[in-house]
Amino acid sequence: MLWLCIQFPRLPLQALTRAQAGPDDGRPRAVAEQQLIVDANPAAGRRGIDCALTIATACALCADLELLTRDTERESQLLQELAQWGYSFTPVVSPMAAGPVENGESRAACLYLELSGCLRASGGLQPLLQQLQRELEQMQITAEMGLGHSPSAAHMLSQLSEHRQWLQEAKSPPTGQQWRQWISFTPSKLLDCDHKTIAKLYACGIKRVSQLLAIPLSEVGSRFGRGFVDYLARLNGSRHDPVASYQPPPQFHSELFFPSPLDNSEQLLFPAGRLVRELCQQLQRRQLYAQQLRWKLDFGQKGCKVVSVEVSRPLLDPQRLIALTKLQLERIKLEQEVQALHLTCDQLQPLEASALDDDLFGESTNLQRSHQLLDKLKARLGHEAMSGVTLRESHLPEQAWQSADTLILHSGRRQNGHQVKPVNAPRPSWLLQRPDPIKARNNKLYYRGEINLLQGPERIDGYWWQHHRHARDYYIARGEEGSLYWVYQDLTSEEWYLQGIYA
Amino acid sequence: MSNAENLFQNKQLDQQARQQRLSQVLRRPDIWQAANEQQRTRHGIASGYPGLDALLTGHGWPRGATTELLVDQSGIGELSLLLPALADMTQREQMVVLINPPFIPYAPALAAAGVRLEKLLILHPRGQRDQLWAMEQTLQSGCCGALLSWQAGPPPADKDLRRLQVAARDGNAVHFHFRPSSSAASPSPAALRLQLASDGEQLVLQLHKQLGGSAGQRLHLARNSDLTRRDRPLH
Repeated sequence: MLWLCIQFPRLPLQALTRAQAGPDDGRPRAVAEQQLIVDANPAAGRRGIDCALTIATACALCADLELLTRDTERESQLLQELAQWGYSFTPVVSPMAAGPVENGESRAACLYLELSGCLRASGGLQPLLQQLQRELEQMQITAEMGLGHSPSAAHMLSQLSEHRQWLQEAKSPPTGQQWRQWISFTPSKLLDCDHKTIAKLYACGIKRVSQLLAIPLSEVGSRFGRGFVDYLARLNGSRHDPVASYQPPPQFHSELFFPSPLDNSEQLLFPAGRLVRELCQQLQRRQLYAQQLRWKLDFGQKGCKVVSVEVSRPLLDPQRLIALTKLQLERIKLEQEVQALHLTCDQLQPLEASALDDDLFGESTNLQRSHQLLDKLKARLGHEAMSGVTLRESHLPEQAWQSADTLILHSGRRQNGHQVKPVNAPRPSWLLQRPDPIKARNNKLYYRGEINLLQGPERIDGYWWQHHRHARDYYIARGEEGSLYWVYQDLTSEEWYLQGIYA
Repeated sequence: MSNAENLFQNKQLDQQARQQRLSQVLRRPDIWQAANEQQRTRHGIASGYPGLDALLTGHGWPRGATTELLVDQSGIGELSLLLPALADMTQREQMVVLINPPFIPYAPALAAAGVRLEKLLILHPRGQRDQLWAMEQTLQSGCCGALLSWQAGPPPADKDLRRLQVAARDGNAVHFHFRPSSSAASPSPAALRLQLASDGEQLVLQLHKQLGGSAGQRLHLARNSDLTRRDRPLH
């Protein structure tokens, strides 16, 4: 077993400020909880602001400090997202939430990844670690890593700076011997136990773990309790070290919070692009695709607005998804300031190799181009502005067609099975929305001038078994200016109507 | 010595660049060359009406360009004029898009004419900006065989028409633009302008403008005899 522990010491701050465009604008910022500073950015750190200061002291040190309230819910959500990200590397992932604040310090949130199964696929330890680091940097998340044969050991070693330095250049996983050396070298304050125990250890003169391991376990047990012995055994690898296994949710959800609200839909494009890129990475690794992206613009207490982008075909290209999103965002007018942006994809479908849009050379066929066009049109014009037509089996002319969803365009090929055949009679190419009454006077018909019947009648009599009977005699007629019309006489009321035009 | 060589090389390069520019200009569809007349003959999309094909320079509807159809009145056979070409396109898996049609395209009639309905898309954009955007996107996409658009609202500006013409060229699509015949007087960048009217029995086409060809001819096209056949009175 090879466990990697990734600690996120800056998570309280980064969960709140990750959405900003630039890396850092140099303004001192700090996150506070229960009147104590829990996290501060480097600019604030230079002004002497540190964890465990009270808010009053911090403000006295730095007057223009921007104080943010800690949001543990957002933090745990971000940790879930990170777990999802980790799941794309290895199936054995375990997120661990931050511990409660104690004397102004708390155990940072971390993520355990079991790497022994994925080394070969990633091309060895060094490329894998570099990739992890690169992607974390892209997400603008500070992380510290440690390798160990058990999660507890990995967690402890991730705090040891010598170990982290070694990890930068590590080419292969260390041997058991090396691990034992690392562990015994560790100062005992890095042990994962409460302050009281650590104080007791130092009182006994135990400054390094090696000194602790030299004492027989039974004596350690009588001094520090069974729990501590258990922890030591897990650290040593002589006992199993279980961690909660993580299962990715069947949907994707990610959000960005803006410390200073946005009032312009163009400003939304940058954070939206970041979310889409995260989504695409996730999807590609899990070999899924999303049919619908749901964007939620959160106006804080003034409600929210949901915008959905539909994708007809599997699409993993972030640029195209961003372009579709842009079309949607351009349509809306922001009346309130946006405080957070959420991206949710509910239905993730497994991807089939044949279904992917781009082939090896990035050429798209006619059909794929038409899907892209449909997506674009749908994004800007809306669903209701687009339609298709299909045939329907009916005697009644107005029911022999139906407006079809554009989805039938997507099927690409003809559907198998029963196929409706059009009637074998001349039918007009234009149909009126509803039949237009024609004036009849002295056995003559008038519609924009006199019209003459050329052919007919063709009797269509249907639905006599229902309440509303349709009995009509259809004729082809010619108007004064040469237009050909499709008219009928309702046999029950004897009135004349125009229903179609032979255009 | 080296100076002279340089000069010579420069001259050669200059000549090459000039030649390239010239061939670029000559490739434009609106430049007519007598020498290339033979190659150009089979350029258009067959309209399905031999009489009309004979009148048009490309022996069919101009490809990658706007064709303006000036019509005031529906029912004179303006859509059946296009149906054979549209049916052919849909059977070759190309999309046909209708923007703002004045009535409902009646599926049984279209299917009977050979149009594959699943390749037909009808759009009703709101507002002129959305309409122009949809037209341009559709023409540019490269998957659209033909775009039929009906002018709704104020006449589009000259620069918009020009943009549509360019978009049609980029996407190699045929753009059929239905406009009222009152706009015949105003100039248009369209490659072909046809006025459609009826003489009571037949459809009358008048060529107003044709790029690389002559204009002014008139053509009478008979309506489908199935429609105009007069039944004998029953008594």
